[in-house]
Amino acid sequence: MAEGLKLSEDVKIIERQKIPSGVTMLFGFPDVGLVGVIAASHMISELNLREVAYLDSKLLPPLIVLHEGLPHSPIRIFGNHDVLLAVSETAVPAGAIQPIVRTLVDWGKSKNVKEMISMSGIPVQNRQDIDELKVFGAASNSSVLKTIQEKGVEVLKEGYMVGPQAIIMHYCARIGVPAITLLAQCFYNYPDPEAAAATLKELVKITDIKVDVSTLLEKGEEIRLRARDVMKRTQKEMAKMKKTQEYDIPLYVS
Amino acid sequence: MSTRKKRSIFDIIDEYFGSLDEWAEIFREAMIERPSWNQRASTIEPLRDILVTPDVVIVTADLPYAEENKVQVKPLDGNALEIIAKMRRKVRFADFGITHQAGEFQTFRCQTRIPVPVDMKNMEIRLKRGILEIRLPRKGGYRIPTE
Repeated sequence: MAEGLKLSEDVKIIERQKIPSGVTMLFGFPDVGLVGVIAASHMISELNLREVAYLDSKLLPPLIVLHEGLPHSPIRIFGNHDVLLAVSETAVPAGAIQPIVRTLVDWGKSKNVKEMISMSGIPVQNRQDIDELKVFGAASNSSVLKTIQEKGVEVLKEGYMVGPQAIIMHYCARIGVPAITLLAQCFYNYPDPEAAAATLKELVKITDIKVDVSTLLEKGEEIRLRARDVMKRTQKEMAKMKKTQEYDIPLYVS
Repeated sequence: MSTRKKRSIFDIIDEYFGSLDEWAEIFREAMIERPSWNQRASTIEPLRDILVTPDVVIVTADLPYAEENKVQVKPLDGNALEIIAKMRRKVRFADFGITHQAGEFQTFRCQTRIPVPVDMKNMEIRLKRGILEIRLPRKGGYRIPTE
């Protein structure tokens, strides 16, 4: 096991194997509808991704996740030759999001990632009545924005973005790493596997990643039941970070 | 000589209310921290939400596997509801790889308090995409005519 770059005193990334260079890095963090986490979990099983690194931080609650009797960090990076995927199995405390996400982005930059893509959702009040979910995109610079528009992604033109994807986007823009956020219309407070599937379909459109979502849709009810506890804890963190600002209309300042 | 800045009365009041907020948060967490599964009653507490608008209170609950004709919504009194919903299949801890606990569940059950007066007799209920939606008209107050 290799010690990764120590990018911050509070947050460390420990590499378990050689990390591929120049690939796409994806993020699936707990947020509205758990869209990113559900999409990430599906990708891990569908693409048979392996844990390549994990995050260790004093800022996280004192918890580990046990899988097959062995301990794991709740925030891990999975991957193969083509992709890296950072995912959290627990609600990230609102106050820890900034340092954790920045460290992950710095780590990704040190691996010369091609681009960073956050998968998440955007809550809509009439979600229950929407059959065809729209997925919106935003990008860290105009060139990337143009590219995703040309690939058919509808741009989220105006609005607030709150949560890990907001930090990823802003920080990537600052340090010059191309970044994209994909946001599917979703439930605010309920796990939304359909929105996760919509996000993955859009991801397939803009990258070379191939992932089938049929099993994700088939297992929708099982996933909703399984994701309840993480959703409940995520709701509390979303309240702390004032997530409902995403419903707000921004004041235009040019 | 000490260079420590003298605290104003406002700083002291701010600190006091800050620590009160922290304690309130800890107390609230302690009160609501409980498993969402009730092994004794074999029930699961659903995720739920309440939206209060000027005309109506909308209570929703996430009920995966719920059978449409086996969802009951009972007013408990003027300002509380009980939701009971039978699922199409039994769910066991083992289904999620949990082997240190035993139990099977086939019913969602929860009670929820409505924060404003509502007309329980005129509630409307629908189940779509496994989400139960209960619409409760708010009890009208009185209107002041606008001249």
